[in-house]
Amino acid sequence: MKDDAVKGKPVTEKKGITRREVVKTAGVAGVAAATGVGLFGGTPPAFAQKRTIHYLMDSYFISGAKDVHLAINEEYKKQTGVEVKMEFINQNDLNTRLTAAVEAGAGPDMTVLKWNMPHLFAGGLANHDALLADIDASGYYGFMHDATMVDGVYRALPAYMTPNAWVYRTDIFKELGISPFPETMEDYLSAGKMLKENGTPVGFTLGHTLGDAPANCYTWLWAFGGREVDENQKVMIDSAETRAALEFFREFWNDACDPGGLSYDDGSNNRAMLAGRIAVTCNAASIYYFATRNPDKVPEGLGDNLHHAPLPAGPNGSYGTNQPLSEGIFEHSKQKDVCMEYLKFFRTGDNFEKWFVAMGGQAVGPSPVWEDHPFWETQPALGSIPKMGGYGRSFGYSGPYDRKASEVQAKYIIIDLLALVARGDSADDTIKWAETELKQIYEG
Amino acid sequence: MNRMVGETYWQRVIFFYIPLFMFLVMLLFPFYWMIQASIKPDRELYNAAMSPFYFRSATFDHFRYLFENTQFLLWMVNTFVIALASTALSVTCGVLAGYSLSRLRYPGSTMLGVSIFVTYLVPPTLLFIPLSRLVNEAGLMDTRWSLVLTYPTILIPFSTWLLMGYFRTIPKELEECARIDGATRWQAFIKVILPLATPGILSAGLFSFTLSWNEFLYALVFISSPENKTVTVGVVSELMIADIYYWGSLMAGALLGSIPIAIIYSFFVEYYVAGLTGGAVKG
Amino acid sequence: MATSADGILESSNERAGAVGSRPQRSLPALFEKEWVLGYALILPAVIIILGFKAQPFLTGIWLALTDKVVGKPASFVGLDNFTRQLNSPIFLEAVGNTFLYTAVAVGLKSVLGMWLALLLHRKFFLSRAVRASVLLPFIVPTALGALAWLWMFDASYSVFNWAFNWFWNLEISLFGFILKPDFAGMVYIPWLGDGFWAKVSIITVNVWRGLPFFAIMFLAGLQTVPQDLYDAGDIDGVNRWQRFWHITLPSIKPIVVVVLVFSIVLTFADFELVYILTRGGPYNSTHLLGTYAFQLSMGSGNLGEGAAVALYMLPVLAALIVWQLVYLRREDKNE
Repeated sequence: MKDDAVKGKPVTEKKGITRREVVKTAGVAGVAAATGVGLFGGTPPAFAQKRTIHYLMDSYFISGAKDVHLAINEEYKKQTGVEVKMEFINQNDLNTRLTAAVEAGAGPDMTVLKWNMPHLFAGGLANHDALLADIDASGYYGFMHDATMVDGVYRALPAYMTPNAWVYRTDIFKELGISPFPETMEDYLSAGKMLKENGTPVGFTLGHTLGDAPANCYTWLWAFGGREVDENQKVMIDSAETRAALEFFREFWNDACDPGGLSYDDGSNNRAMLAGRIAVTCNAASIYYFATRNPDKVPEGLGDNLHHAPLPAGPNGSYGTNQPLSEGIFEHSKQKDVCMEYLKFFRTGDNFEKWFVAMGGQAVGPSPVWEDHPFWETQPALGSIPKMGGYGRSFGYSGPYDRKASEVQAKYIIIDLLALVARGDSADDTIKWAETELKQIYEG
Repeated sequence: MNRMVGETYWQRVIFFYIPLFMFLVMLLFPFYWMIQASIKPDRELYNAAMSPFYFRSATFDHFRYLFENTQFLLWMVNTFVIALASTALSVTCGVLAGYSLSRLRYPGSTMLGVSIFVTYLVPPTLLFIPLSRLVNEAGLMDTRWSLVLTYPTILIPFSTWLLMGYFRTIPKELEECARIDGATRWQAFIKVILPLATPGILSAGLFSFTLSWNEFLYALVFISSPENKTVTVGVVSELMIADIYYWGSLMAGALLGSIPIAIIYSFFVEYYVAGLTGGAVKG
Repeated sequence: MATSADGILESSNERAGAVGSRPQRSLPALFEKEWVLGYALILPAVIIILGFKAQPFLTGIWLALTDKVVGKPASFVGLDNFTRQLNSPIFLEAVGNTFLYTAVAVGLKSVLGMWLALLLHRKFFLSRAVRASVLLPFIVPTALGALAWLWMFDASYSVFNWAFNWFWNLEISLFGFILKPDFAGMVYIPWLGDGFWAKVSIITVNVWRGLPFFAIMFLAGLQTVPQDLYDAGDIDGVNRWQRFWHITLPSIKPIVVVVLVFSIVLTFADFELVYILTRGGPYNSTHLLGTYAFQLSMGSGNLGEGAAVALYMLPVLAALIVWQLVYLRREDKNE
């Protein structure tokens, strides 16, 4: 991730996938797969009829998208005879399963990979270069490439991203006269004070979680100019910027946030929001999706009163987190070519687009072209979400998003940096604590 | 020990009924909680302002979801078969080894005992990655056999251990009497010690069954086909979805997942008590 | 195994009288040798454990001595993974937490478990149903039971907070006298959101889950205490406490030792419960060695370092086991 992409001007000349190109490549592939030629090197099609590929994925909570996915699989089976067997698991267990699969050299044929998982599991993933050449991913966001390319080789196929934004209650904000959504940290603090006095504070996730806590805490640090390391992974946490971020956070936490935030898991802020206990929280589009699709299960009219905004700007600007997802085929799979054909098929015709629309905003396309997709116009409440790819940074900034950056995440160091301050520790002690841990990871 | 000597009614209330009632409330409240979460409609479940203790209407939607949208029944069958097989294997081994370690003296017995237990100490979190490689090499990946054969590695040390303690409470004289009467060592073990150890064996069996029924990590890692999964892994995988959990169905799954064992227990707890009233142990 | 054993029994019955007087080559006669029977009986257990545990265990130790990361070949780094932990505040905190968690949870479980066992040992109306239902927390799968607690501790939906608030804001009066006024305001306990309360919460759930195991094992032990010991005590006029301390406890000591050691091992290496409730948060106040090792291995693929953290648990637990074995053997000699 380079800085120019951060500013919202992705360095791309070609505008992503053009529909026609995809149809062309995948169409050819589809015919080849259907006849069994080129895929199995002359094996009779009868053999192909029995083939099954096993696809590991974290569970869809958006049932519409799951249906579309299964329908595409059905269509693929009709055309090629290959059955795609889906296995859905809890997202928190994905790493465990992948570790076991890679170490045992057995298990599913392909998997969904979150964030920089292609880096973590590179040793067990196939070379996807040929696939990427066919798909033409040249227009994808830079971080999509960074997440999947390991030592010059693509270890997965970039697919989409699920960005976080600040989802807030327009009705409560209007009632308190806060409009528009704060654009600077100072405004956010004063708005937060009013919200807390109103009994509907800010829900800031400080628990040890996979998604929401990092999205909250890293962006907060970045907004003030703090960062864990420099480009060469020299630890930079002990800085005036970090201190400013922490001191401001202390005030923000005490005056504006739900104290329960220290216990939030990835689902708690959703629950608090759906229960009407908090007025704003940092999340992907799932709260909005649930509230609008299940009006009978949430307080009256909640779905109509949600909107999404980026983090208010600090002294250093406003950032989101990139949360790229990719699809990877295991090196141990005996059907790598079938999996690749399947991945291409998924991007054939309007398959991917149908699926993207069904995701209802939970998925943001892999390239800037998708920011202008007509779907977003039907969902004005999603606000900043479609554009989040433009100003996201990857975890581990400003170093590369590699295993060490993941270790920082796995040890929840940046989250606890803020959590310790929320507890009341001094900024100096906390920074010293974090520096010790970071140095051990990056320099030890 | 049916009654305390000289106990008045009030002493009985204070020292017996009140503490027992408190224990029951503490232990069973979460189950009341699961029941009401599993039959409360979502609208009431997610309404934080409403009293969590009662509900206006009941629904079976959460249970229906469990049966219609997941392979819950199949998971139950899998779990049952796996737990039964691994328990049988483990308790057999545990009885033999427990007797050997507690009653027989031979060179290296302490060493063997220690090494069985030391492998037990190794946290599963350390073991499961190397073990998954081994399971794969044995061609057991994604089969129920993978669990039937690996659970005993957890259960045998446990059963052995439990039964060692139990064999110890059986007076050695009983065995010696049998030997004097002409029984072989093996006969004394089978005909005298084993029947007396029935309660211990039963507990070892019940607890092994429970541990296999509840195991999560190995079941998560070794089984990948949805149709081969166990209840715990199946429920957690398919109902804890992204950041929205299906609480009602999760709790319904937890309840249904414990009821079969609860029934087995309620049956065996009686047997357990009855088996002890024979009085041989007390003699 | 069972069928062949029957055959052996029958044949040995016929010459039972000869046993001991004349050396035999057959299996039953060999079984008369203490050491032969000893090895034969322990063999099945050893085979299974060696087959499925020894190699992964040794691999685990090897991993801890290497810089192994997932999917890459490993190279030997000596004790580096162990020594670097000593400089890590998170590791040290996890060590402290693990000891605290084990001590408090096992302490509570044994005291409460013994109390419950003594209560259950009496005959009373519905005693069988109560004994069975007391076991429920142990029966429900840990992962799912912990989820029920997660919901009860939830920041928005905590039933405890709801109940406390209800009581806090409730005015109780009797004939116009206010016994408890309505303390206006909110009671809010951050169950999983505060270092102290999060520890209280995970220990509560651990005790809830482990208590039935203690109670039922102690109960099984109580059944073996000879009634005549109590009768003798009654004649001597001992009180409730003396009766427990001088008669009951010494009689069931072996079971108590086994249960205690077993529970310490499980609690010390606990992982699942904390993983579901807090994942070590907030600010590592509930991280145990088990969860931290898991997080290192799975979160960022540092299998070597994760193995080293997990192995730190071993010496403590091993000492415990050796102590137990020595204890049981010594008791045996005293008999």
